[in-house]
This record gives sequence, C-alpha cells and structure tokens, in this order.
Amino acid sequence: MVHAGHRVTDAHECSQLNELKMDMTGLNMLAGWTVNGDTIMVEQMPIFGGYCGGLEETAICDVATTLASFALFSGNFHLDGPIHIRWGTTTNRESLQIAAHAAAAVDANTDLLLANQYYPMAGPCTEMCLIETACQAICDTGSGRELLSGSAAAKGVVQDKTTGMEARAMGEAALTAAGMKVSDLNEIIEKLVSGYETRYNDAPAGKRFQECYDVKTVKPTEEYLQVYDNAMQQLRDAGLPIKH
Amino acid sequence: MAATRALTICDTYDRFVKGKKVDEAEWDYTIIPQNATELKKKYKLDFGKTFIPEDNKTKNDLFQAGLEMLVNTGFYNMDLKKVMKVTEEEVWEGIKKTPTKLILGEGRDIARFYPRHGNSPVKPIIQGGPTGSPISEDVFVQVMQSYAQEGVVDDLVNGVMTTIEGHPAKAGTPYEIRATMAELRATREARERAGRPGLGV
Repeated sequence: MVHAGHRVTDAHECSQLNELKMDMTGLNMLAGWTVNGDTIMVEQMPIFGGYCGGLEETAICDVATTLASFALFSGNFHLDGPIHIRWGTTTNRESLQIAAHAAAAVDANTDLLLANQYYPMAGPCTEMCLIETACQAICDTGSGRELLSGSAAAKGVVQDKTTGMEARAMGEAALTAAGMKVSDLNEIIEKLVSGYETRYNDAPAGKRFQECYDVKTVKPTEEYLQVYDNAMQQLRDAGLPIKH
Repeated sequence: MAATRALTICDTYDRFVKGKKVDEAEWDYTIIPQNATELKKKYKLDFGKTFIPEDNKTKNDLFQAGLEMLVNTGFYNMDLKKVMKVTEEEVWEGIKKTPTKLILGEGRDIARFYPRHGNSPVKPIIQGGPTGSPISEDVFVQVMQSYAQEGVVDDLVNGVMTTIEGHPAKAGTPYEIRATMAELRATREARERAGRPGLGV
C-alpha cells in the first residue's frame, strides 16, 4: 500500500509565533516527528515594526528565535522570513538587512543550517517580481544561508499568483552570487533595492499561473520568457554576471 | 553550570508547565520590546545602511545579543500563558546535538544540505514552490510541476490547496486534512511528471 504522507527526508514544518512564542499544537507535532526521526524545519518570521521594534531589535529577536528552533524545539533547520509590518514583504530594505545580519551572526558562530523564505511585492510575469526575488537571493547567499525557499509572489496572498519562473530567477541569482565578494554584493543589492522600493504603492499585480504558462504543456509563455530575459539583463547591468 | 543534557520536546513542555504565569499583553508590549532595546544598547548595535555585515564584531555582538535575548527572556507558551527558561549551556548543548548535514529527498534526486559558511562558492539549496500561497485545486499539479521541472531547483515547497473536491479547505475541519493529503499526492504527481520523483518536499 502506498501512502501519500511525507517521507522521513521531507521537511516537516512547525511554526513559532510572534515573538518568542509557541503553542501546544506545535509542541505536540514536534513530539511525534522527533520520535519518528523525521526531518524537522522550524519556521519563524519576525515582524519589523511589530513587538520587537526597529531594525537591530528585530535582528536580535531573529537570532534568539533561530537558536530556539534548535535548542528548545529540536529543529534540524531554521526557516527565517523577517517581514515588514507595512509592506508585508521579505524583499524590502529592512527585511533584507535583518535577515542578512541574523544569518551572518549565526553562521559565524555555529554550523547550524539556515533557510529563508520569499515574499516579493510584485506578481508573476513582471520584471519587478523577478528582481525583488533575485535581490533577496543575492542577500541570502552572501550572508551564508544554506537554503532559499520560494517564491510567494504577490506577497503570497493572491490565488494562483506564483510560478516556477520566479524560482528560476532565485536560483540563477544565488548560483551567480555564490563566491562573489560580499562588498560587491552589497553594492548590487543597494542598486536593485533603490530601483524597486520607490514602486511599493503602485507595484505591478502581475498575472495568474494560468496566464503565465500553457496549463496543458506546463511551458512558460513567450511573454514571460521575454520579461525574464529583461530582468536578467537588469541584474547584469547592476553588476551580477548571470550567464543564462 | 554545565547542562544535564540538550532539552527534548518533553523537557521543553515540562519547563513551560513549571514556568511563571505572564499576561500575554505584558509579554508582547513590555517584555519583548524592553529586552530587545536593552540588548541593542548594551552591544551598541547599529546596522546603518549595510545589508550583509562584513565585520566580525557586528556578527559576534549580534549573536551574543540574540543568545542573551533567549536566555534572559525565555519563551512564551500561548496556551499555558507561561514562560519557560533555558540556560546558555543548554542552548549550546542543543546546538551540538543538531545534525550539521541533512539529505532532502530520495535516490538520484537528493539535495545535500551542508553548512556553507560566509559566501561560499557552493550554491545554496533552491527549494522551489509557492511557499504557502493559495493555489487552485484544478492547477495544483501543474503549478508544482512548473517548479519541479526547473533545473536550478533542488527541493520543493508546497502551496496551499484552497479547496478539496470543491469544498473550502477550512482550517480546523476534516477538509483541511483531506486537502493537505491531496497536496502531497499532487506534489508527487508533479515530481513524477517532471522526471524527478525523488525530489524532497
């Protein structure tokens, strides 16, 4: 009999709550997974501008909750995702600063496995969405993270507004950024963020999966491929030497 | 004092049960912001305009501040309304007990999850997927396939199926469980369609 559930080598996800909180549902799930030998990912998305307060305070809470994932909750890897209380994204300037500082701090002091998740503002089939995603990938890669998870385009709240093309941009940006000088990456990130952060009030909504792909063949449309090529060229112009 | 051992989940639960009762509003609006602000001042943390820090002092000071935040503040259980405490030694025991290498997925499609450190030339694992975004039941397989077929993707993350057999997948109902199981079946179908049946999820 074939079961549909998770394999031991799939990630079983338990979320902490904001800030430095857990509930009994989470603890009870963790109790079963630890006994079963499952791979456990503990998530926490600290809120910039929320209970923690400002930039540095949120990063302090980010480090604290990252350590709690392992020391209190038996996680095998931590999924981060600092989110902006006003914009609801992870690609904004402050979220990138918090995530990068927290990752670099934990990375410099431990061998713990660190992940981050992606909530750009713009929707699929837009250059802004791909550039936001690529920008965070550069930041996460440069700060030592081991896994990038995404991307939940259009802030992850609109039905069917995510596609594989955004993951392609995330992956290609990470592949290119890996091994580059951090000072160069910081310059590239500044150029990219400065370009899209002025557009938060009129960010392009993008298109649904059904408009971005041929649903039968699961091939992206020519329009989306052109948008992708344009976005990759903008990354090259900013200093990231993406090959393909 | 040395730790007796790394905390298990039941140890953590026991600490919550024996912990101090604290009003949730006090935790949210007083304890968390006050402690975070004090540590920011103690370590004189100021990120300025920097995205990725390059100096070791900032990294080490922030790490120490985060460690102290956890040890001094503790952790809050929303159901019990109690705060557990953990010592610095216990945090380090937990870190030591954590595996530093994982395998995600099966067979030829595994992703090796190892520490990178700094901006290593090793590419991070790319976990592709909607990351919890709402996805229609009728295109769920195709959406997941669009990620699984990307060569740069090493692992998958699900979206949330909004309906199951036409019923809203409402949290806390049997439909939520049915939808979750349907997500896993659909993701398996997507992996197989993409020719990567062993991809981790």
